[in-house]
Amino acid sequence: MLRLGKNVIVFDGGFGSELERLGLSGIPEDLNITAPEAVQSIHRSYSCADIITTNTFGLNRIKYHGAYELKDVAVQAIKNARAAGKTVFFDVGPTGAMLEPIGPLYFEEAYEAFAEIADITAGLVDGYIAETFSDLYELKACVLALKEHSDKPIFATATFDSTCRTLTGSTPEIVANTLEGLGVDALGVNCSLGPKELLPIVGRLVNSTNVPIIVQPNRGLPVLEGGRTVYKLGIEEFDEYAEKMLGLGVSVIGGCCGTTPEFIKRISRFSGAEVRRRRVEPKTLINSANILVEIDGVKICGERLNPTGKKALKEALISENYDYLVDEALKQQEAGADLLDINVGLPQLDEKSVMPAVVKKVQEYCDLPLQIDSSDAAAIEAGVRRVNGIPLINSVNGDEEVMSKVFPIAKKYGAVVLGLAMDKNGVPRTAEGRFEIAKRIISRAADFGIPRHKIMIDTLVVTASAEQALVKETLEALRLVRGLGVKTALGVSNVSFGLPNRPLLNRTFLAMAMTCGLNMPILNPLDGEMTGAVKAFGVLSGADENSENYIEAYKDYTPSAPSAAVSTSQKSEKSAASLYDCIRSGLKSRAEELCEKELSEKDPLTVVNDILIKALTEVGELYESGKLFLPQLVSAAEAAKAAFAAVGRHLPKDAEPKGKVILATVKGDVHDIGKNIVKVVLESYGYRVIDLGKDVPAERVVKACKEHDPIVVGLSALMTTTVKSMEETIAALRSAGCTAKIFVGGAVLNAETASRIGADCYTRDALEMAKTLDKMFPQQ
Amino acid sequence: MNFSEIRPQIYNYLGFRGVTESPDTDEVIASCLIELEKTAQFNSLYRAFEKIPDFLCKPPYESFLRGTAGVILSVTTLGAGVDRLINRLYRTDMSRAVVLDACASAYLEAKSDEFERTLGDSLTYRFCPGYGGSSVEDLKYIFELLRPEKIGVTLGESFFMLPAKTMAGVIGIGKTVKKSCEGCFMLPHCKYREEGKRCYGSEKTL
Repeated sequence: MLRLGKNVIVFDGGFGSELERLGLSGIPEDLNITAPEAVQSIHRSYSCADIITTNTFGLNRIKYHGAYELKDVAVQAIKNARAAGKTVFFDVGPTGAMLEPIGPLYFEEAYEAFAEIADITAGLVDGYIAETFSDLYELKACVLALKEHSDKPIFATATFDSTCRTLTGSTPEIVANTLEGLGVDALGVNCSLGPKELLPIVGRLVNSTNVPIIVQPNRGLPVLEGGRTVYKLGIEEFDEYAEKMLGLGVSVIGGCCGTTPEFIKRISRFSGAEVRRRRVEPKTLINSANILVEIDGVKICGERLNPTGKKALKEALISENYDYLVDEALKQQEAGADLLDINVGLPQLDEKSVMPAVVKKVQEYCDLPLQIDSSDAAAIEAGVRRVNGIPLINSVNGDEEVMSKVFPIAKKYGAVVLGLAMDKNGVPRTAEGRFEIAKRIISRAADFGIPRHKIMIDTLVVTASAEQALVKETLEALRLVRGLGVKTALGVSNVSFGLPNRPLLNRTFLAMAMTCGLNMPILNPLDGEMTGAVKAFGVLSGADENSENYIEAYKDYTPSAPSAAVSTSQKSEKSAASLYDCIRSGLKSRAEELCEKELSEKDPLTVVNDILIKALTEVGELYESGKLFLPQLVSAAEAAKAAFAAVGRHLPKDAEPKGKVILATVKGDVHDIGKNIVKVVLESYGYRVIDLGKDVPAERVVKACKEHDPIVVGLSALMTTTVKSMEETIAALRSAGCTAKIFVGGAVLNAETASRIGADCYTRDALEMAKTLDKMFPQQ
Repeated sequence: MNFSEIRPQIYNYLGFRGVTESPDTDEVIASCLIELEKTAQFNSLYRAFEKIPDFLCKPPYESFLRGTAGVILSVTTLGAGVDRLINRLYRTDMSRAVVLDACASAYLEAKSDEFERTLGDSLTYRFCPGYGGSSVEDLKYIFELLRPEKIGVTLGESFFMLPAKTMAGVIGIGKTVKKSCEGCFMLPHCKYREEGKRCYGSEKTL
C-alpha cells in the first residue's frame, strides 16, 4: 500500500494521443460508451501506473454536449478505468466556460456542475483529480464541490505558462496557498509545458507548501513536422526530468499531452520510492487571485469599506451603489493598502446576502486580498466562500460560542483568523489578561485543526481620553502575544477619540505599536501621515533594506508639498487655465475644481450653457472633422462628466436636467467597450445613464425599463450571433409596453439591420447618439 | 517587440484613419504598451492536420485552402489579466482604457504573427472564422480539435472567445496568401473604404 507523501506514486499518461493512435475520433467522453473495449485497452496499457484516471476530462453539464446522459458516461468511464486493475481517480476538467467577472459563468453554476459529477461518482471511485485548471476561482469552485459532495481524496492541478503564471495571472505560490487552504490532498501542475519548462514552477511549488506535490508534464513542446504536430521529447530525457523533480520533493508524477504508456512504464521505476523530505516554514499568508501577502513586518489593512461612522458609504450600501465601494477600494489600493477590510454591518441590511455581493464586486476590479469583517458567522461564510483566494476573517474572540461558530468556517476555507483579545466579560484591563485570552484562542483553534500561523491577535486599542492608563496595556499585550509566534493587528485610530489633533495621536501611537510588534495596523490608507509612518518605520526598523521603498516614495519630497502623493497627471493639470480649456483638453479633476469655482460665481444653468455645452460642441465638431480622435473625445467627456457632477451638487436634489437612458450589452455578448464609451459621452451631455452591464438578459432590460422609466434604451451587440438576442430584447421591450425609444449600436449593425430587428434608431457612434438625443428631446 | 511597427495599427483602431501625428496619444500608447508587456501573458496552441478537417471542406475555407498541403489550426491569447486591466481602467481612466484596448488588439495580432513565423515560411495568412462570409460558429470545431481551455481560453454560447484578446486561426500550409478584405461581411458599410483606406494588412483588391 503506497502512502501519499511518503512513497512516490505514479499516475498514467496522455489519453487523447492514444485515442488518436487507435484511430478513434469524436467526443472523447462518448467513446467510453461507443468504444469501451478500446478505452479499456488504453487504460490497461497504463496498468504500470499506480493510479489510473478516467476518460472524463470534459464531462460536466456545462462542457459536455455528447449523446448520452452524464451519469451513464461517468459510470461506464469508471468501469472502463477499473479494467486496468488499479486505483481509479475520476478526472475532472474545467467547464470550458469563463467565470465571472471576465466571463458569464457564475461561481455557483460552476460549483453545481462539479457537485453533480461528485454526486454521481462519489461511491464508485477512489479519488478525484481536478486538472488543467487555469482559473483559480473555478478551481476553488471545483474543490469545494468535490469536498462537500464526497469524502474521497482530491488532487488538484493548474496549468501555468512559461512566465510561471496561470492564464488568469496566479503564481505557483498563490495556487499552492489557496489549494492548501482548501485542504486538497495533493496539489501541483499538469499539461502546460514540457518537463524541462516545468522545473522552475515545480521548484516554486515545493518551496511553498508541505502538501504533497503532483506533476504531470507534457512530452515537451510540440513541433511542426510536415503537415503534423508531433511531440519529440525522448523517454530517456522525460525520465531524467522526472528524477530531477522527485529530487525536489515531488510526491506524485505522471504524464500529460503526448506521453504514452512507454513513458509511464519507464517512470514507474520510481513507484514506491521514498519521497524526499522537505519542510516549508509556515507563514501567515493571504491572497487574491493575483496578489499574495505575507503578514510579516508591517502590512496595511485599509479600513474604509466599513460603514461605521461613514455616511456616504452607508447610503451607498443601502442603495446598492456598489460602484462607490469599488472606487473606495481602488483608492485604497492606489494609496498603498496591502489588503482591504470589508464590513457591511448595517441594521437595514441582510449581511448574509450583501457580503458576497460586495466581495464579488470589489474583487472584480481590485486585486488586493480581502478581510471579511462581520460578527455574523453566516455572513462570514457567505463572504469567504466567494473570495477568490485565501482571505482573513475578522473576527473571533475568546468566547466559546463565537469560536465554535467561526473556526469551522476558517478551517474549511483555509482562511486566516483575527482573534480579538476579549471575551464575554469584555476587554481585560491588563496585558496579561489579554495574553491569556490570546492563548485560549490559539489553543481552541488548534482543536479545529487551525495551525498557529493561521491565527492573528488584536490586542485591542482603548480610547486614551477614557482609559488613558490602559493604552500601555495594549502595547504590552502586543509584545506578549508576539512571543506566542502569532502575528498581530490593531485598529489604530480608535486611540484618539475625543481628543484634539487626532492625527498626531494616531501616528504617534502607530509608531509605538509598531515598535512593540504590530504587524497589521487597520487604518485609513488615504491618510498620508499614517502610511508615511509605516514607511518611516520600515527604514528605522531595518525592514526596508537600503531604505528603497522609503526613497522611492519620498524622492520628490519638498517640505511644502502635501503629504499625499500627487501623480504626474494631476500635476500637469494645474496648468490649464479655464474650465472651457479643461474640458477641451480632458483634464478631469481640474475641470471639477474649476467648475466649482465658476458655480460659486454663476448660476448652474449659465455654467452649463455658456461653458460646458460650448466646450462639448467644439470637441464634437473637432471629432467629426477628424481633427480630434477617440481617446481625446473620451477624455473630454470624462472631464465634462466631472464638471456636470459639480453642477449636480448645486441643483435641487430632485432636478433631473435631462432624461434617463438605460444601456445594456445584450444577452450572449460580453463586449462592452462601445457601450462604455456611449455611457461616458451621454453622461457628459448631461443624461443620466443606468448601465446594466454586459450579457444582460431581456427580462432584466424590461425590468429596469419599468423601474426607471427612461426616455431611451440603448442596446449594444458586437457579434453577428448576438444580433438575434438584440432582436429578442427589442421584442420583449415592445410586448412589455415599453414606450422609450430603442437605440441600437455596435460593429455588426447598420441602419437597415436596426430597422429590420425593430429598433427605432441606429447611430454609428457615441457622439452621434448624444446629438440625436439632444435633437429628439430638446431641453425645455 | 518593435512598438513602432504596431503603432500605425493602434492608430487605425483608435479611428485615426490616415493620421499618425499626435504626440499626446503617442505618449499614452507608449505607456500602455509598457503596461501590456507586463500584464499580457501571450499563449498559443496549435495543431497541424495533413487531412483537412471536415468543417473546412466548404466555402469560403475550401477556396482559401485550395492547393495547400495541410492546415494549421491555432488559438492565441493575451490571457485574462488584460481583460481585468481594461475593466479596471474603465473605472479609473476611461480614455486610457480605450487606448489600451486598441493597443492590446494590435499587440495580440503582432504576437500572433510572430508566433506563426516560428511555424514556417510557406503559410497562408490567418483566416479566422467570421471572415469572408464564414460563420463564427465554426469556432466550435476548432475548440473540439484543440481544446484551448488548456491555455485558459473559452468559447461562449454565442461563440465569443474569452479572454477577449484571443484569436483563432485557420492557416494553410505550403502556400503563401496575403490577407484581403474582399470577402469581409462589413464591406458594404466599411468606414475605411468610405475614406479610400483599408484596414489591417489587407491589400487593395478593388
